Amino acid sequence: MSIAVVPDSNEQGAHSARPRQRVNRFVQRHAWTVGVWVLFAMLVVWYASRLQSFGNFEKASILTTAVAAVYAAMGQGIVILGGGIDLGLGSMVILANCVSAKWMNGHGLAACLGLAVVVVVLAVALGAGIGWIIHRSGVPDIIVTLATSFSLFGLALFILPSPGGGTSPSFAHIVTGSDSGEVYWPAILCLAVPFLVVWLPLRRRRVVLSIYAAGSDRNAAFLSGVSMARTKITSYALGSLFAALAGLATTAVTGSGEPRFSTASAFTLNAVAAAVLGGVALNGGVGGMIGPIAAALALSLLSPILTQLQDGFSWMDSNMAEIVKGLILILVVMLGGYARTRRSKVI
Amino acid sequence: MTDSLLSTSKVAKRYGAVVALRSVDLVVQPGEIHALLGANGAGKSTLVKILTGVVAPNEGTIAINGRAVRFTSPIAAQRFGLAPVFQDPALIPDLTVIENLRLTGADIGGVREWLSKMDLGGIDLTEQARDLTLPVLRMLDLARAVSRDPYLLLLDEITAALPVDLAARVIAVMQEWKKRGRSVLFISHRLAEVRAVCDVATVLRDGCNVDSFATADGGEARMVSAMLGDTTKAEREEKRSIVGRSSTYRRTTGVSASENSARGHTVPPVLEVRDLRIGGLDGVSFELRAGEVLGVAALEGQGQDLLFDALAGDRRPASGQILVNGRRLVARHPADAIREGVALIPADRLHALLPQRSVRENLSTAFFRRPRAWGPINLRAERDQVDSAIERLSIDTRAQAQVRRLSGGNQQKVTIGRWLTAGFQVLLCFDPTRGIDVGTKHQIYDLVRELAAAGNAVLLFTSELREIALVCDRAIVLYDGRITAELPAAEADEETLLNAAHGLADVPRGVA
Repeated sequence: MSIAVVPDSNEQGAHSARPRQRVNRFVQRHAWTVGVWVLFAMLVVWYASRLQSFGNFEKASILTTAVAAVYAAMGQGIVILGGGIDLGLGSMVILANCVSAKWMNGHGLAACLGLAVVVVVLAVALGAGIGWIIHRSGVPDIIVTLATSFSLFGLALFILPSPGGGTSPSFAHIVTGSDSGEVYWPAILCLAVPFLVVWLPLRRRRVVLSIYAAGSDRNAAFLSGVSMARTKITSYALGSLFAALAGLATTAVTGSGEPRFSTASAFTLNAVAAAVLGGVALNGGVGGMIGPIAAALALSLLSPILTQLQDGFSWMDSNMAEIVKGLILILVVMLGGYARTRRSKVI
Repeated sequence: MTDSLLSTSKVAKRYGAVVALRSVDLVVQPGEIHALLGANGAGKSTLVKILTGVVAPNEGTIAINGRAVRFTSPIAAQRFGLAPVFQDPALIPDLTVIENLRLTGADIGGVREWLSKMDLGGIDLTEQARDLTLPVLRMLDLARAVSRDPYLLLLDEITAALPVDLAARVIAVMQEWKKRGRSVLFISHRLAEVRAVCDVATVLRDGCNVDSFATADGGEARMVSAMLGDTTKAEREEKRSIVGRSSTYRRTTGVSASENSARGHTVPPVLEVRDLRIGGLDGVSFELRAGEVLGVAALEGQGQDLLFDALAGDRRPASGQILVNGRRLVARHPADAIREGVALIPADRLHALLPQRSVRENLSTAFFRRPRAWGPINLRAERDQVDSAIERLSIDTRAQAQVRRLSGGNQQKVTIGRWLTAGFQVLLCFDPTRGIDVGTKHQIYDLVRELAAAGNAVLLFTSELREIALVCDRAIVLYDGRITAELPAAEADEETLLNAAHGLADVPRGVA
């Protein structure tokens, strides 16, 4: 009986079977993430093959435009992992963008960096407040963050009523590398550093484990002694941290602040799409950050690819990107659901 | 008394109007294994929730080592040296075991040590909790609880559904704990196990502690009689009146329990279940004939919910057959079962109803299921049907605009009433009188008997065992996914049922 339920440590051959089991398990757990990176790689190759040249400039332009979207996807991913969803994430991005563009204008690098830190700290505080409100009020995440999406955007408009502002060229170079757009490694650094510095160290700690726990099984998490209040607050604070980074990246890339609501909602929804496409389960608890990063990169490639396709097919339009994005999303999510039911049936 | 490890005094808990615990005094001494017993709904799980800080009591005090304490959360209870193992393991399915241990700040070395002591050193801690079987999860949860070195270990039905060898290891841990001078509060439905392992038993009934005694003193018999309580005179009279009434139903229809079994081979069954297996349900077979009410008795979690779900087409059985009127029913969706005339009254009434819609709409939803009902609804036909159902069920229609504002009893009548308008052959009732006042309960008993008298077949699961003798013709008892007893209603007194439901073997297998 015990052999059926418990792997027997004394069993012969158990050790030889183990490495293979581990490989299988790795594939099972991470197949999705690998698949998204493959999708991204395929899109890059296809795009490159259609261009006359695929040099540093093209690489840099792909990467720099994607940085903000990737940050937003990571922020949304964290919130969704914890069982929530942040509809106000895009407004937080625009708020950070407007605040930084307004006060960075005409200042040097040191002042800009200082302001960037202030923006991040304020965003974290705002996010924590949102998390606290959701916990205390018991109102669903989707309603509270719908409300904050208006309020935060209103705040952005209040601070910067019309497009404008600016930043120090050196600050912009942190993301764009140079004015000529021929250097692409700073963008890669920008993509990697928050992941390595913020996410990886936290991933195995109780802060983030609690977020996973709350998203996976609220009841079991509560019984395990996880504080629901603290978890909500940290997940929204972390989400807003990444939203603030996305806003700062937007300032660096565009060199201005643009209080436009359509941009805010595009940020929010693309972030949800990237998180889901990247393997984060919408009801929380499952997924990581590596998948959403690839998914956000892939989604931001769609628009230039479809512009390219106009050469061959005159009816193609870069606006088709949105249609294609929607189709890919629904296909992929269906596929994911199918894979998941298959897996649960096997067990 | 001050040196008792844990003592509660007049602990009470209400959920709205429902009283879960009236007043419980429980005393656990250091170095003892203390059993907490009680029938379904006696308040055991509420007491456990209070002791573990999951819910706060409305009244009463809890003292540890003579000092009054107040638990605000599960962590607070742990700080006072209480470590619980819940019936559903508190491990996060999407985290690995190691991550789960880290999440709760458990001492991983200590957990490993306990696992190897329990002969479970082979468990791979990098496995995700969702990929492990329930018994393994329970053992992990136990190892985690023990590694905290608590003064009191709370084990809530930990041995239920555990294979024998693992259950033995749990008991070994309990005994080791006693040897160390620490205590265990043990909740189990396996009375033989309780007598063998526990020193003292406290029995709860109707939210009060009714008896507390050394388990050696009285044995299982005393446990069962304490769980049931003395049948008071009033209750006995009530019983007689309903049995009398239901026997008149039988007389008028000419169908009685004994006749049913006598005719058993001549009348084909309406519903036949052959060797049904799904989840914990392990090969269940029975027949149900027209005009018959078949009772199902079981403790919580013996597979009854799976049985009802499978029959209603909500879950697909792993193997086995369901035959309706001799034809095999393979339901992919509840609609398939409904088409064959099998209708379910689920445990959660509001789950079955459209709580914010009117009584009328709720009664007619199943009616308009028919394929020809495309196009506009024939309002007059609807009104006639609905009015007759309301009248037949004597539903209180004062709050008919929204079903959720009706009382529980009236809601239940609406869930039954919708099948009256739609038509059915087999009615599956899952605990239909839970949380309903006595008067309405009787109306529902009468209704069930009437439906059977009209030639329908009813399968009735109830957590109130006395209802079996009141309403049913025949009863089957489920234990651990199998039918352990089948007996006519006349023999289905509470004690027999309770014994069978606890898997105690001395029950004759009747007309099987």
